Amino acid sequence: MTPYLGRLVGKKDLGTDIKLLQVELVEPNGKARFADYRPGQFAFVSALGIGEAPFGIASTPSGNGLLEFGIAKVGSVTAALHSLEVGEIVGVRGPLGNGFPMDEMKDKNICVLGGGIGGAPLRPVIRDILDQRSDYGHLTILWAARNPSLLVFTDEYDLWRSAPNTELHVTVDEGDEEWKAAGGNEGLITQLLETIAPSPENAVTITCGPPAMLHFVTLTLHELGFSLDQMWTTLEARMHCGICKCGRCNMGDKFVCTDGPVFRQDEVAGFLETYL
Amino acid sequence: MKYISREALQTWLDRLANDVTLIAPRLVDDILLYQSVSSAREIVLDYTRPKMSAKEVVLPSSEPILFVEKRGQEVSLTEPSSGAQIIFGLRPCDAHGIAVLDTVFVGQEPIDLNYARRREAITLIGLSCPQMREDCFCTSMGGMPNDPTHFDVLLTEVEDGYAVNTVTDKGRTLVDHLNLEEIKGEPAEPIINETESVLAQEHWPDLFADHYWDLLAERCLECRMCAYLCPVCRCFDVQDQVTQQGISYSKYDRLRCWDSCTGTNYRVVAGGHNPRATKGQRLRNRFFCKFHYFPVEYDHSGCVGCGRCIEACPVNIDIVEVMRDISRAFNASQISNASPDAEKGVTA
Repeated sequence: MTPYLGRLVGKKDLGTDIKLLQVELVEPNGKARFADYRPGQFAFVSALGIGEAPFGIASTPSGNGLLEFGIAKVGSVTAALHSLEVGEIVGVRGPLGNGFPMDEMKDKNICVLGGGIGGAPLRPVIRDILDQRSDYGHLTILWAARNPSLLVFTDEYDLWRSAPNTELHVTVDEGDEEWKAAGGNEGLITQLLETIAPSPENAVTITCGPPAMLHFVTLTLHELGFSLDQMWTTLEARMHCGICKCGRCNMGDKFVCTDGPVFRQDEVAGFLETYL
Repeated sequence: MKYISREALQTWLDRLANDVTLIAPRLVDDILLYQSVSSAREIVLDYTRPKMSAKEVVLPSSEPILFVEKRGQEVSLTEPSSGAQIIFGLRPCDAHGIAVLDTVFVGQEPIDLNYARRREAITLIGLSCPQMREDCFCTSMGGMPNDPTHFDVLLTEVEDGYAVNTVTDKGRTLVDHLNLEEIKGEPAEPIINETESVLAQEHWPDLFADHYWDLLAERCLECRMCAYLCPVCRCFDVQDQVTQQGISYSKYDRLRCWDSCTGTNYRVVAGGHNPRATKGQRLRNRFFCKFHYFPVEYDHSGCVGCGRCIEACPVNIDIVEVMRDISRAFNASQISNASPDAEKGVTA
């Protein structure tokens, strides 16, 4: 439960009240612990004196050596993290959770569906695939948010679009004038999904977003012919330890922290409780 | 088994109180609690059950788990240390509760180092119950009023003194030098209540969607008393507290505090979504945790049958009644599956 110390070395705006925090771990044991982590794992980030909260890690170990977190300002800890100055010390505890089984997805066509800040834990998935592009099949990225200002990692669109065998489609529930003028998609991610209609043949999907989106994306994917065991998701739950002690994140007899946060939809369907 | 006289026990307890932190049943404002004592005189020996379990000793209601010091931009973190403690007069249900907490906190990787550090330095000296209270049901949860299993040493009252059953090496190091005599005869068997049956964990999911939970929860006040008194309920919250705030120097404590799954906002996530939004869902989680989730996850019941929640609930939600209702409903559903006309569910 004791975090490693890290220094905030970068802070970028990702959207309205959404920031990317870049952290460099300062202690050798912290660096060693985070030398290798998987897409989909998470970590607790502390604003010391305010508290800590869990966030999907938005970076990959292959990147710039920094731990990155996409953080939306929704409460006291995230507000405190947003207000930190570059150079200040934070605590980082992890990596925790199971992560996406990237090895199982090799040679498959992959459809990644991100909704709002739910895009943050999917960025390392996209990065991992692009890093080893020939290991995977076709990559379809569906990226959505309530409005254009809540779309995350927009500065990486060009990188994603220009990658071989990769397509990106973006939609917002409601566009502003600029969005409409540029001819951007409007509508829910499920409508976009129906339009793009990826083939379920030799394919898997990876979804992260708010509970209602997860629910309806699952239904739409099902209509498109995907079976539940082709759909992966990462779930959010309030938690305080991340190591299966605090009891907070249970969904029936499963714990989001250690049994997840990544689950296959057929597992989720078998849970006693739903995330809805 | 050895024997210790009442006088020798008093002398021993006085010495223990002098050497380590001795926790024992003591009256605080007329309420019996496991509390630290400075001499044997303060200890109550004739009692049925302290109001609170001894959970507080192994998992305090609020405890610092990390000290943070910030000097300029330099931050140092210190973990708390823990000294030797002996709990004397622990009832077998409470020792059982500590054993279940051990399973959760140190029985599965990754272990909770904070809990482990404190627990390692705690020795459990029990006192058998001569008889069960009306609301006790330890025997239904795999316990016995004189069960030595989870103790280091268990004392059982005999004429003029106590039978001393030394269970672990930790207990032996405490007891061996007392040079106790062998006991003559055996202590009397405790008077026990009729055993309640609890529905096997694999059948509980059949009753998950039953309307019963909403009806039961209609009177729940969400006071969370049941969880705080429970020797097994272990849910906690973590909060940072500023203890000193200056321009160049600040100190913070990271605190772990008890929490309960029956609280309204327990499961609320960022953005306000609450996947356990109704009282029925939350109360159901409490009972499913005890009789289904714990058995699945830890191969052990999440209830030890101490009966405290029955005594304390201000609206008489009775865990034994719940066990009975659920068993009855399951049995009825088995019958109704065989005969389609029969009524189904707890509330049918």
